[in-house]
Formats: sequence, C-alpha cells, structure tokens
Amino acid sequence: MVNRSEIMIEAKDLVYHYPGEEEPSSPALSGINLAVNRGEYLALLGPNGSGKTTLMKLFNALLAPSEGEVRVEGISTIDEGRITEIRRYCGMIFQNPDNQLVATTVEEDIAFGLENLALPPAEIRKRVIDVARLLGLEHLLLQPPHLLSGGEKQRVAIAGVLAMRPHCILMDEPTAMLDPAGRRDVLKTVQGLNREQGIAVVHVTHFPEEAVFADRVIILNQGRLVRQGPPENVLSDLPLLHSFGLQGNAVVELAALLREDGFDLPPQLIHSRELVHYLCLSERKS
Amino acid sequence: MFIGTEKLTHTYMPGTPFANEALKEVTFQLKKGEIALVIGPSGSGKSTLIQHLNGLLKPTSGQVLFEGRTVGSDKAELLKLRKRIGLVFQMPEEQFFSETVYDEVAFAPRNLGFAENEVQTSVTGALQEVGLDPDALLDRHPFQLSSGQKRLVALAAVLSFKPEVLILDEPTAGLDSFSRANLFNLLAVLNRNTGLTILICTHHLDEAAALAETVFVLKQGRLVLNGPTSEIFSKREQLHKLGLGLPAVTEIMYWLAEEGLDVRTDIYTLEGARQEINKLKGRQEK
Repeated sequence: MVNRSEIMIEAKDLVYHYPGEEEPSSPALSGINLAVNRGEYLALLGPNGSGKTTLMKLFNALLAPSEGEVRVEGISTIDEGRITEIRRYCGMIFQNPDNQLVATTVEEDIAFGLENLALPPAEIRKRVIDVARLLGLEHLLLQPPHLLSGGEKQRVAIAGVLAMRPHCILMDEPTAMLDPAGRRDVLKTVQGLNREQGIAVVHVTHFPEEAVFADRVIILNQGRLVRQGPPENVLSDLPLLHSFGLQGNAVVELAALLREDGFDLPPQLIHSRELVHYLCLSERKS
Repeated sequence: MFIGTEKLTHTYMPGTPFANEALKEVTFQLKKGEIALVIGPSGSGKSTLIQHLNGLLKPTSGQVLFEGRTVGSDKAELLKLRKRIGLVFQMPEEQFFSETVYDEVAFAPRNLGFAENEVQTSVTGALQEVGLDPDALLDRHPFQLSSGQKRLVALAAVLSFKPEVLILDEPTAGLDSFSRANLFNLLAVLNRNTGLTILICTHHLDEAAALAETVFVLKQGRLVLNGPTSEIFSKREQLHKLGLGLPAVTEIMYWLAEEGLDVRTDIYTLEGARQEINKLKGRQEK
C-alpha cells in the first residue's frame, strides 16, 4: 500500500538562474518550497515562461539548483554519483514523443533504459512484456515507432519510463502534439497508473481541463509558486487565473458568466456534468 | 475557387514495401478570403495535404489548383506558388537560425529577391501586423523571446512576403491560454482587414471553431466530411467515431439538450452559450 503522507520529491528554498541570464534579479525560479507525496497526482499550470519546465528538469536532475535543494527519495540532485538512481525513480515524458523515441522497434525502445542499467536479458524481456501488456502495446512490439499514431508513440515513451519501475512520472505537456483520441488515451493511461500502481505524477499542462482530475493543482507565475490546492478550489478561482493571463476551462468560464446573469450555481464547479446537472435543476424548479 | 485540389493522391515511398498512400483522391476547394479548418486524427494526411498546397510535395496523381489553374511541377511555377502561399509549420520557432529577429523575419523577402529597403519595410510591417513592437525587438536574439513572442515572430516571418493564403499547422501547440487566444484573434483581424485566406490544421477546437466558416475532416487520407462549420459539428456521433471531438462549449450544449432543455447546439463560443442558456429564463417568465 502506498503511504500518501510520505514525501517523494522535495524542493526547499529552490532558486534557479539560467547561466548567462542577463538579469540575475529575475531568476527562472525562486523561493520554491514544494513537496510531492508518494502516489500523488500533481498538475502544474502557469503561463509560458513561468518556470514549469525548469522545475521539472530540476526534479529530474537535468538541472542543478542555483540555491536551495531538491531531494528525490531523500537523495540530493547534486549528488552526482546517484543521478542515475534519481532518474530511475523519476522518469520524464516530454511534449513531443518523436524527441524521445530512439530505437528501430517499439520493443527495443521500451528496453533502452533497462539495457543501460545492464539488467540480464531475461529480466529485460520480462519487464518489456509486462509494461507492453499493461499499456496495451503488445501488438505493436515489432513495429518501428515512427509509424505509430501520436497517442501510441506517447504511450511507448511512457512504457519506456514505466519499465524502469519509477516512483514518479514527470510529464511536460504530454498531450500537446496529440489528437483528441490520443489525448484521452494518454490521460487515461496515466490516471490508471497513478490509481492502480500508486505511481506519483507531476503533469505540466496548458489545459485546465486536464488538471481537474489531479489531487492537487499548483500555479507558477514568473518563477514563483503562487497558488496551490485541490482542483475545485484553484481551477474555479477565475480572478486568480485571469490575473496570470490564464483562462479557466469552458465549464468554469461559462459558469462565471451565468452567475453574473443571475443563475444560482454553486461555487467551485469544474466538471461539465456538474454544470449540466445544476442548470437542469434550476430549469425544473421553475 | 481560389485554391484547392482535384483527386489529389500522394504515396510516400512508392514501389517499395513501405509504400504508404497518405492522401487518396482528395478534392476540396477554398474560397478567397475564407477561414477554414482541417481536422482529423494523427496520421490522417493533414500535414501531407498542406505541403501540397505550398508546392513542397508533388502529387502522385491528381492536381493542386490555384486560381482555377492546375499548378505545374516545374521549378519556376512552384516558386511562384510559394511566394503567394505562406506555410507556418508546427513549432516553427524550432527552426529559427538567425542571430536577430530582424534577420529571421527578413529571410524570406531576401530569398525572394526583395530590394533591401523593401525588406526593411516588410519586416517592420510584418512585426506590427502580429502586434509586436519592431523597435524593441529587431535587434534581439530570437531565443531570448518568450514562447508566445517566438511564435508571433515565426508568423511575421511568413507574413513578411505578403502571402495571399496563410496555412498553419497546429499553430497553438505549446502555447498558454493567453497566447492561444491572442494568436486566434490576430488571425481573425488579419482575415478581416486584409482578406487573407486562412487554412488551419488543428486538434484544438475550443478557440478555432468560432473562427472558421468551413471545416474539412480527413481520415486515413480521405476527405470524409466537408462543409460549413455548423453542419460538420452537427455530426457529433460521426466525429466521435472518428476519434475527434467538439469544442468544449458545444459539448456542454449537447448534454443540456440531451437532458431535455430547449437549447441550440450549434454554439462555439462562451458568449454564444451564455446567450442561449439565458433564453431559457426568458421562456420561463413568459
């Protein structure tokens, strides 16, 4: 059983400047204190340039903090001898799966990380087949990745990370390049892994509708953590979102307009089903 | 008809075991001054289609038509086509290669043989058209700009040679909601003020649907649906079967209608949804 009160990733007084930055007075990230708990699904929103991707790279030890520290399973990300271990705990999924798939078949691609760990071939084979089965990729194992659909490619990238038995998956706008079916496919896959296998997820997105199923939503703006809380609190706070140049999802935006027009809708509506329910209710009452 | 295709077929790697028919007898037409969307699952042939419209690919069979004439395949004619049809690729800023914003935007006009003073006016003009301040940006390195600004510079780099048709492949991928709304507003203004014909390939309908008069739907290389926006989005079941969706507000209107509320479903904007839902109140009071 996953102990959800246990800390998995922790950032303390984290500051990051990109090297050669013109004004060190405006770092890419500053004053970040944040803990990701075991098994937690965290959604990270913020305008372009707010530091979301930088934070993910710090979590994965691709960048080292300028000040403060990041610990993954208690290991500091500047502990160079243990970086491989950190990356095994925290796998990363990028925006464009084409940048992440390296082998000539799906099978080899999923095995790539395991081969780098120099695991015995029988163990590699077993893990590849296990994750392929879990993600419904078995029939594609011998296909070249570049002939797959976008959603399938992204699932292969997830499979490659999953084969490493990570404790956390970091995803940087994983659906940006996908069609609607691919988007649903990837989100369902990741939600399933989170719920059933207790794998923590940190999901960067520009789409608030992708954040509604998270356990906690974080908003970054100009390198600072400006708000965090359950999705129904954060995603329904339109004045806050608008003040950072963000929009709410269609439900939240529409509900706000309808409240102005005198519709009696509870605050914190973030799901379409809820909005439809309350509108029907108010229609039937009258 | 302004631009279109007639039974356009494209086969990648013909005559090899990897032969792949990416477009199958696609016939479509775009009117001058129109805004149209091309939607379809990944791998349905969208990118192949738009590369034909710009003369980057040659038809395996069938033809591309511009101003009622077949576009020939000799170099001179293709060059003429490329001067009049601007293509903005996915993630265009990944292809930046110049040291300054000026050189980046000036690349196409220089290449097309504009005199240097004409280059200057077209660069400044194009940056102003996309809402950027030339004085502040001309000497900046393109990589120093924000993601939203980079995307606008990439758009200016195409507008700089005053194309009559603008084709965009997933123009808002990776942008935050503010930049997305800004980009679509800009396209609407360009279309209104200059009569620019615009064709947009996208998976994200929330902002795009309200802009378009016509929608083309591709599936496995075939044009399966083609018509006015309201007609295409009235085929909800069929779109879902194709793995495609509707704009989020439209989906909400459908759910309300399914619950028996008397609302229209051809609604693509928040304001439209607001007005339509408000009509329910009016009906009760009568």
